[in-house]
Amino acid sequence: MNQERLMQVILAPIVSEKSTLIAEKNQQVAFRVVTDANKTEIKAAVELLFNVKVAAVATINAKGKTKRFGRTSGRRKDWKKAYVSLVPGQEFDLTAASAE
Amino acid sequence: MQVQLETLSNLERRITIALPMTEIDAKVTERLKRAARSAKIQGFRPGKAPFKIVEANYGPQIREEVIGEQVQQSFYVAVAQEKQRIAGYPRFEAAQESADLENFKFSAVFEVFPEVVVGDLTSAEIEKPVTPVGDAQIEQTIEILRKQRTRFNYVDRAAAEGDRVIIDFKGSIDGVLFAGGSAENHAFVLGQGQMLADFEAGVTGLKEGETKSIEVAFPEDYHGKDVAGKTAVFEITVKNVSEAQLPAIDADFAKALGVADGDVEKMRAEISKNVAREVKRRLASRTKENVMQALLDATKIDLPKSLVELEVGRLMDQARQDLQQRGMNIKDMPFPAELFTAQAERRVALGLILSAVVEANKLEAKPEQVNAMIAEFADSYEHPEEVAKWYAESAERMEGPTSMVLEDNVVEFVLSQAKVVEKEVAFDALMGNNA
Repeated sequence: MNQERLMQVILAPIVSEKSTLIAEKNQQVAFRVVTDANKTEIKAAVELLFNVKVAAVATINAKGKTKRFGRTSGRRKDWKKAYVSLVPGQEFDLTAASAE
Repeated sequence: MQVQLETLSNLERRITIALPMTEIDAKVTERLKRAARSAKIQGFRPGKAPFKIVEANYGPQIREEVIGEQVQQSFYVAVAQEKQRIAGYPRFEAAQESADLENFKFSAVFEVFPEVVVGDLTSAEIEKPVTPVGDAQIEQTIEILRKQRTRFNYVDRAAAEGDRVIIDFKGSIDGVLFAGGSAENHAFVLGQGQMLADFEAGVTGLKEGETKSIEVAFPEDYHGKDVAGKTAVFEITVKNVSEAQLPAIDADFAKALGVADGDVEKMRAEISKNVAREVKRRLASRTKENVMQALLDATKIDLPKSLVELEVGRLMDQARQDLQQRGMNIKDMPFPAELFTAQAERRVALGLILSAVVEANKLEAKPEQVNAMIAEFADSYEHPEEVAKWYAESAERMEGPTSMVLEDNVVEFVLSQAKVVEKEVAFDALMGNNA
């Protein structure tokens, strides 16, 4: 797989109540990813960037919210979310990864 | 907490304090826990963010706060422990690099109040000015008051010294009119040096309606640079000659001075009372100045620089405000600190000496003294009780009279100690009249 493409797939980690909950409970990590990414790509990207073993990837396409500004209504961009399950025993450390 | 005190110079001290890291860490964690309960972080409901994330967000900031507080607090504890009296503000210095991970180290440099040892006053000679106030002085004062109320009455005769004339004049040098050399309806009084002597001499002896050309030589040091040292020709037309008339000392005069029923005797009594009070006040302030100088001369102290700097700042602010009130543009006006240093040093030294003298000799202002002082102030107002009440309302307002009483006490004390030399000062010199 093209490494350049892999570097672009993951946009940002998602930090929220749910993401911290699943991290503790299921060893899962949540990311915002590019909308045209597929699961194999995401798996490869996470393994490349964070140096961990990935067991499975689940993705969701989130529709952008419609927002109104006065009379004009607009729409936010659609986006894709990925829940990455790690192989048991793997540790995911975001701060360590970004420091690299 | 380990404290280490060093003496840098006469007045400068450095205090080095080591705080155990564990203590700081414990405080930080405690604060973070409290903050976590209500912290608002994106992605979490308020207070629901996990401790780790709160720490990542707020940790450094809270740590800094805690350290700042601890530094202040431990500094004052340490100072109290070492029994130091700090003058001015301490300067905190970051910890020097040290391998000591268990302690947080910092040092503060500050100055202490000097030990003030008031010198021997018994050998000091203090001049105490004395001015007798008698009828002559009162007459003199009345004379001045009369002069201030001079009226001018129109007369049809040649202008003489003491008369007020109204003239038009045109001045030219070598036949050319020069700037500021012409005026219409210019009024002035002859014989008071308001105009150049040549000019006044030229006007003297002229009658109303007369015109005369005179030559006036400007002196070399005349303030107008263009004309200084040159000779100008003035064409003068006199429009009005008036004779000065001093008001008679009568009921009208008394009324003008504020004695309602126009009683001349009463006016005289009033004036003599005022003169006596003013003389007393001025004598007292001169004596005070002499006493302060004697104290300064008798005592040698090192002044804490920080106090002098503070005082310089205060004086500068005052000067600035003063200028601003007079409508000057202070923004681009340079204010060299050196201008104020000498004055500031004097004030700081006096303040220190005074408090030392007060403390050593138990000269604190007693409440009844302060009340007497306020009563004296209040006396010159219309409603003395209200003035007294105004003062009593806040401790801040009481400060003024209290410090005055203190100063008076000190003056009295010093006078009782030192050799007092009475010296007569002329009435005019004291009041600053040149009459």
